[in-house]
Amino acid sequence: MESEEDMHDANDWESVGEDLYSDYGEEGSEVYVEEGDDFFCNSNFDDSKDVMVVREKPFTVLSEDDIRQRQEEDISKTVAILSISKAEAFILLRHFKWDENRVNDEWFANEVAVRRAIGLLENRVEIPKLMELSIDHLTCGICFETYPPNMMSAAACGHRFCGACWQGYIGTSISNGPGCLTLRCPDPSCSAAILQDMINFLATDEDKEKYARFYFRSYVEDGRKIKWCPAPGCDFAVEYYKGSANYDVSCSCSFSFCWNCTEEAHRPVDCSTVAKWILKNSAESENMNWILANSKPCPKCKRPIEKNQGCMHMTCTPPCKFEFCWLCLGVWSEHGERTGGFYACNRYESAKKEGVYDEAERRREMAKNCLERYTHYYERWASNQTSRQKAFADLQSMRNEKIAKLREIIKEEESQLSFVIDAWSQIVECRRVLKWTYAYGYYLPDHELARKHFFEYLQGEAESGLERLHQCAEKELQVFFDALPDSPPTKEFCAFKTKLAGLTAVTRTYFENLVQALENGLEDVSSASQVAGSSTSKSQSTKGKAGKNKAAKLAVPQISPDDYWACDRCTFNNHPSAKRCEMCSHHQ
Amino acid sequence: MQASRARLFKEYKEVQREKSADPDIQLICDDSNIFKWTALIKGPSETPYEGGVFQLAFAIPEQYPLLPPQVRFLTKIFHPNVHFKTGEICLDILKNAWSPAWTLQSVCRAIIALMAHPEADSPLNCDSGNLLRSGDIRGYRSMARMYTRLAAMPKKG
Repeated sequence: MESEEDMHDANDWESVGEDLYSDYGEEGSEVYVEEGDDFFCNSNFDDSKDVMVVREKPFTVLSEDDIRQRQEEDISKTVAILSISKAEAFILLRHFKWDENRVNDEWFANEVAVRRAIGLLENRVEIPKLMELSIDHLTCGICFETYPPNMMSAAACGHRFCGACWQGYIGTSISNGPGCLTLRCPDPSCSAAILQDMINFLATDEDKEKYARFYFRSYVEDGRKIKWCPAPGCDFAVEYYKGSANYDVSCSCSFSFCWNCTEEAHRPVDCSTVAKWILKNSAESENMNWILANSKPCPKCKRPIEKNQGCMHMTCTPPCKFEFCWLCLGVWSEHGERTGGFYACNRYESAKKEGVYDEAERRREMAKNCLERYTHYYERWASNQTSRQKAFADLQSMRNEKIAKLREIIKEEESQLSFVIDAWSQIVECRRVLKWTYAYGYYLPDHELARKHFFEYLQGEAESGLERLHQCAEKELQVFFDALPDSPPTKEFCAFKTKLAGLTAVTRTYFENLVQALENGLEDVSSASQVAGSSTSKSQSTKGKAGKNKAAKLAVPQISPDDYWACDRCTFNNHPSAKRCEMCSHHQ
Repeated sequence: MQASRARLFKEYKEVQREKSADPDIQLICDDSNIFKWTALIKGPSETPYEGGVFQLAFAIPEQYPLLPPQVRFLTKIFHPNVHFKTGEICLDILKNAWSPAWTLQSVCRAIIALMAHPEADSPLNCDSGNLLRSGDIRGYRSMARMYTRLAAMPKKG
């Protein structure tokens, strides 16, 4: 059982990192295959099968056309199975969150109840019959004007209103948002659903378009399997297959995000830590202060709600419609006599007495007092963020123009230069991981000294490794751009290639270990001897590589990595000129 | 704007014609502004509001009847669903359950019904709600009666 779980992790791990991790590059292969071998020995699975599983991604990126096609397919299937109209199938599927199986189960279990709940009438009230009664004009129930029957329309229920009023009624509902998808007949006693064919017949062109947009988006927003890519201006959505332990997905627009919380990808830090961190970051801004002071999030859909009037019985705006108590944020249906009435909720009062609410507030207060500690982590988080953005831009320009330029100077095949792209991709990915380790570090409890020290050690090593790689990819590569095209520095370039590729591989391995260690909750630290053993061997291997590269580095006048001094307290490698540790301010 | 004006005008005419039809409701349109109305409603019998006349103020939005009118009590009233200070009313049909087929007249009827059947489950006036919830019907009736006497009935002498 355990090995199976392990395998699961390993699968997710490799499948998600995509190129960066699952790519068994030449240089990286040494370390990687070793680990892989180990892993396959431990589990009794067929190798070939494993490789296949490893390659499979736990998600699919969908374009608008793909989504439309799927929506069409789902609707057509339901139409065929239940023999209802397309517009009815839409209402039905939307109501059951686009879960076909549930639709079928519920429908065949109790069709009458389902029809009643969503306002689908079984039999249309026939309008021609009324005309036969020789009624020549009717009064519209909204504007009270009289019209001949043929100028009025009704839903399946037969409640007739004039065209202008229908248009206004539908338009008001559409401008209030996706709640218009569950629009009902205007008659107060009637709950017949207004279907899309009716909207298309009666609404203005602009409203029809908006409605069609809500109709389409419902497939993603009301369904449970697909989410929009949160990148600005990106129209793709990502379908995720449940059951995988890791939520990081990458969209076709090259944005990586966590499918669970739709923040940007944040491995190895978990969603709740990220949410806390992001809230904390924005808590400093006035906006967030106002939202915290004046609103509460809907307990179900998390939209902030401002209570500006009325009683404690809150109903979230459609489509959420969640009913809850403003004081304790509990489900409204559970309120009543037992909770001490509806307006002075007992649960809230008793929780307040027990300190649950005060606690949250006090913690917030304390966090503000610990501003300095926070600033320490935030600055590092933010600077890695900026650094990553810069590295990403560099990677793009490298891909788009600089590689071609380098080819001219070095006179090499493009495939021979791919190691530069690999290095930059690695830098971008590492900056992302490193950035999130600062959020992780911020929430690591101060009293767990062993874990904290181990974490800071790992982070420090990772950071200095990445700095070396970044430096090499940026500064040392620049030298070759400045070289004269008639005397290509082939020899030097060869040495540079070995160095950069080596650094890329080392850094990659290091970050893999870091991510794994953090995801395991730094378990290793419990068996101290093991930690000492593995970490020394790791640092040796890094140092070994760095040592090998020293010759190449000497060509460019700079400070050797050996000149940096490691802080006694946090192990961070400091610049020789620094008298105090740049990380923890400890004296040299 | 045009549609709401036309509809309000229809309602105005209807009110003139039906004046005697519903003796409990008297709707009055502002002389200069068809979007401002007041209403006088009679407290329903066999309630603590019996014998009182309560004044309501209507502010009607331009999108009426697609959006509901804003209604509040001008006369002080002790009722679980009416704010004691502002007169604001907590009634579903004035919020999310509004339908354009409702009229000012039917809104008044709904408010009279609310006076007879207070909804203590979502109170705006907590003291009033508390009395009802705790089963102190006598206490609630006395308070409501007192305020009806004080505010909604002509002073004796």
